[in-house]
Parts: sequence; structure tokens; C-alpha cells
Amino acid sequence: MLIHPRNVQAVARKEFYHIVRDYRSLYMAFALPLVLILLFGYALSLDVDNVKVVVVDHDRTDLSRDFASRLDASAYFRLVATLPDDRAAAAWLDAGRATIALIIPPRWTEAIRSNREAPLQVLIDASDPNIGSISRGYINSFVERYNRRLLADFLDRQGLENLHPPVEGRVRVWFNEELESRNFIVPGIIAVIIMIVGAMLTSLVIAREYENGTMETIRSLPINAFEFLTGKAIPYFLIGMTDVLAALLMGQLLFGVVMKGSFWLMILASSLYLSVALGLGLFISIAAKSQLVANQIALLVSYLPALLLSDFVFPVENMPRILQAVTCVVPATYYIDILNGLFLRNVGIGYLWPSYLVLLAMFAVGAAAAVVKMRKEGL
Amino acid sequence: MTGKPIIEVENVTFRFGQVEAVKDVSLAVGEAAIFGLLGSDGAGKSTLLRMMATMIPPGTGRITLGGLDAVADRRKVKRLIGYMPQRFGLYSDLTVDENLAFFMDVFGIPSRERKARRERYLGFSNLLSFAERPAGMLSGGMKQKLGLACVLVHEPRILILDEPTNGVDPVSRQEFWEILLEMKRTGMTIVVSTAYLDEGEKCDRLALMHRATLLAEGSPGEIRSSFVNLEEAMIRRIEERDGAQGHDNPQR
Repeated sequence: MLIHPRNVQAVARKEFYHIVRDYRSLYMAFALPLVLILLFGYALSLDVDNVKVVVVDHDRTDLSRDFASRLDASAYFRLVATLPDDRAAAAWLDAGRATIALIIPPRWTEAIRSNREAPLQVLIDASDPNIGSISRGYINSFVERYNRRLLADFLDRQGLENLHPPVEGRVRVWFNEELESRNFIVPGIIAVIIMIVGAMLTSLVIAREYENGTMETIRSLPINAFEFLTGKAIPYFLIGMTDVLAALLMGQLLFGVVMKGSFWLMILASSLYLSVALGLGLFISIAAKSQLVANQIALLVSYLPALLLSDFVFPVENMPRILQAVTCVVPATYYIDILNGLFLRNVGIGYLWPSYLVLLAMFAVGAAAAVVKMRKEGL
Repeated sequence: MTGKPIIEVENVTFRFGQVEAVKDVSLAVGEAAIFGLLGSDGAGKSTLLRMMATMIPPGTGRITLGGLDAVADRRKVKRLIGYMPQRFGLYSDLTVDENLAFFMDVFGIPSRERKARRERYLGFSNLLSFAERPAGMLSGGMKQKLGLACVLVHEPRILILDEPTNGVDPVSRQEFWEILLEMKRTGMTIVVSTAYLDEGEKCDRLALMHRATLLAEGSPGEIRSSFVNLEEAMIRRIEERDGAQGHDNPQR
């Protein structure tokens, strides 16, 4: 099969005109990715802070007031109300106006002072299990720290300030030091955006030629399948890479997410992954021959898996076995793996090459399938 | 026949499933001539033209154009011909100029020649003043003329047109044929199917297709023979053939 670069160029230029003329595809190509970054970046925050707390203080001592005010002072909690009785606290939880109700029993301080057990009732709204369990962790460690402070005070007064608890875990968080979910949301958004531009948009382009009857014209011209598909893909490749750079820049400016690893390894990975998406989109378009059908299929096999089955929104380890197996054929899984390595762990090609190889193989298979399918259609 | 044949169709058959669309057709088209294909709807004209234009391979038999095999040398044949199907797909969101530029790009027209070609072929079809208009906003006749300009722009040796003036107004039809006659003078060979018999009169050779077979072939004069006009001649010949078939059928 002889390849004429000028045929590729002719098709690419024509495709470029189509994109410029069609404001909907322009919107999909440039505005939608930006909207997605903003939406995911701000809304899909998996971090929990400022948990709303109501307090019922039956004790009414300096110590119980101190406990409540320290809670309010912490970054994780916000005291929204001090209530007279337990029923009012339950009502606040029912109404969703507070996540935690803290009930300090009568004679709580007295119990502490006389070295008896001093229970504290904590009610947590776990209707969102994620927030519920995180809140529980917060309150436990807050109580723990408060205990330590009381103990230290006591030891101080006894002149035993050098006494320390025997075991103290020194926890150090690596790779994403602030445990900010944004730091791995940005790579995930880039993966989703590339699928939208690469597969969703290109799923329309061949189907459009069939619907408008221009495929017959193309078939009558001395253009082969490879030249035609390459020419079709080029404008979308450029748009996709522009979006990647825009997403990178926005991630940095808006969310302060700075990539630690090599910029060029990131570009290489994005080019490969985008090429996989383009091959997939074109194949779907040739097979479906209808823009509506092609777009639905592309949504189902490219965009949704990139979003849901790629370790981006839902952790793969928690999925049932079958779904875990499915994630192995989702290109986004490998791309996000590379991006997490580059963004957070600052590892090089030495660690990441298997994922690069998988993407390369996926591209080869997808592109070959699209060319073969196109040739079968008589081009 | 004027000159040696540039298109040769030898015992070509094509079937769509059970239906025979073209049945054992042989014909030869001479160079620098207009060859007209007449026949009722469903006679197999389009299928025959599509095979000549390498769009579908013949079921059996062989087609050569300029000495090249339509199947084996498909890509080379495509460079030799300009083919305009019945419903010619132009890009409606692209302007007249951009549509033409696409065809020039594909055929690798060098940049020094592009301006002259554009003026020649858009000028021919009176489309120069509409160069910036999207093709989708053109009238039916103008669309067909733009289609013709697009397939002519690489100056093919052979032009294959499938009912190019179908549904086009009389003035545009006239203009269209003037372009074809002009192209013939430059040495181009034109194969055209038509339902308009006045257009048939303008051809150098005519072939009459009926029920997938070639009924008659000759100059317009020969086809007309003793009948008053081409239409009468065509109808009579078709009736004659159908009648003969009727006699062969024992159930009649």
C-alpha cells in the first residue's frame, strides 16, 4: 500500500474546515474539556473538612466548654449549634443540618477528675458512608489527642513531664503529602477529556461521510484507507494535545497541581493514549455508519469506562473480580497509572514502561482494525 | 467507431444476490467521443457505470480503461478517470472553492496551476461568483455543475457521469452539455447515462440497455433507423425484445 502524504494532507485540511464550520464540534473540542476540569476539580473533591457538629452539654463545666471550643477551633470541625437536649440534637441530624452530634453527659468532668470512665456520646450521620467513616476517624483522633493533653497536664502537675507514651506511630504520607484528592483528580480528568475528544468526536466523522453520501465520492478518488483515516485523525490529534496542555495548565493555576515528573514522558504517554482513542473512535464510526449510533457506542465503550473503570473515581481494588478484569482492557487504566507516576511519585520510564507498552499495543491493534475495516468498505 | 477503444468491457456480469443487474455485456468506447447509455430505470446502467469507475468489481468478465485493468490497477485507473455518481456527494458545509481545492489536493495539482484550473472550471460552470458560498446553499443545477467542475479539475482522460442532469432545469442542462462538448474537443472521452433523449442525440455513440442486457449499440442515427425519433425507436426495440421473450415463455 503506497502512501501519498499529500492525500493525508488533503483529507486533514478538509476535516479541519468541517471542525471550524461546526460550532458544536468546536464546543465539544475546547469548551467541554474546560468545563469538565472546573466541574471535576471543584465538585469531585473527595476531601472532607469542616464537618458540622452540634453539641449538647449536660455537664456545663469549664472542661466541657473547653472541649467544645477546641473542637470548633480544629480545621476539621465546625460547631454549628449548642443545643439544650438530646432530642434537639437528633432533630438536627435528621434534618441533615449537622453530621455529628456530640452529647456530653452530666457529671462528665467529675468522672474525669475522680479517675472513672468518662463516656462521651457521639452520633454520626453516615448516610454518605464516605463522609461518615472519615468523620468517625476525625473525631476518634480528636478525642485521642484531647486525652493525651489531659494526661500531659496531669503528669505535669505531678512533676513527671518527661514521661511519654511507650508507642507513638510517626505516620508519614508519601507522594500526595496533603492527601489532597485533587492531586489525582487532575490526571483522571485529562484521561476523560482525551477520550471525549479522541473517541467521542471522531466517532462522528466517518459516519457523517456515510450519512451525507460523500463516502461514495471518497471511494471514487485515489485515496487509500490509511491515508483517509490518518488525515481524519490529524486535526483531532492536535485538538486533543491542545486540551492536554490546557488541562495541565489549569490544573497548575487553579488547583496548584504541579507535575513532578518528566514533561516529555507525559507528552509521549498522552500521544499514545490519544492515538488509542482516535483508532477506537474511527473504528466505531466505520462500523456504525450512523452518527447517532456511533456516538452512543463511543459513550459506552470509551468515555464511561475511562471515567468509571480506570481507578479514577472508583478504586479498582474494591471492584468485583469480573470488573477488575475488565479494567485491564480499559486504556485509561494504563494512562492514569502513568500520569499518577509522573504527577505524584516522580518515577521515570524504568517503572512506567509496561504501561507504555500496553498503550502502544492497544494503538497498534485499534489502528489496524480501523484500516482493515475501512478497506473492507471498499476504500 | 472513431479511433481505437479506450474503454473495453468484455462479457461483464454483475448480480445483487438473486437479481442480475448486468448480464453478459460487452462494449467498446472510442477515444475523444461521447458515449451515451440509454435505458429505463433499473436497466443496469448505474451498475455498469459503477463497474467502469472501479467502484464495484465485475462479477465475471473484465473491464479495461486506457489499457489498465479496473480491478488489478484500481488506484491507477482512478487517476485516469473522473466519476460523478448519480447522487454526487459534495461537502455542503465547505464552500465552492474549498470543495474544488479538496479535489485539486487529492490529485496533486501543483500550486502554479491551481489558479488557472480554478478559473477555468469554475468559470465554465458560471460558479466563480459563488466561490465563497457553502455548497449546501447552491441550487440543484449549480450543485451538479460544481460536481462536474470537481471531477474535471484533474483533467481526466475519461469522464464517467451517471445521469448528471437528472432533475436539472433546462437552462442548466444546456450549459452542462456545452461543457461536455467542449471537453470532448480537448480529447476527453465521456461516458454518460441519461434519461433525456435529446441528450442522447448529442452523443457520438449510444448503447441501449434493457433488463440488464445490451439491446442495441450504434450511432444515434443507427439506433433511430427508420423511426421518427429516438424515443419511438427505443420504445419499439424494448417492446420487440419483451414480446420475443413472451413467445419463448410456454405459460403465455
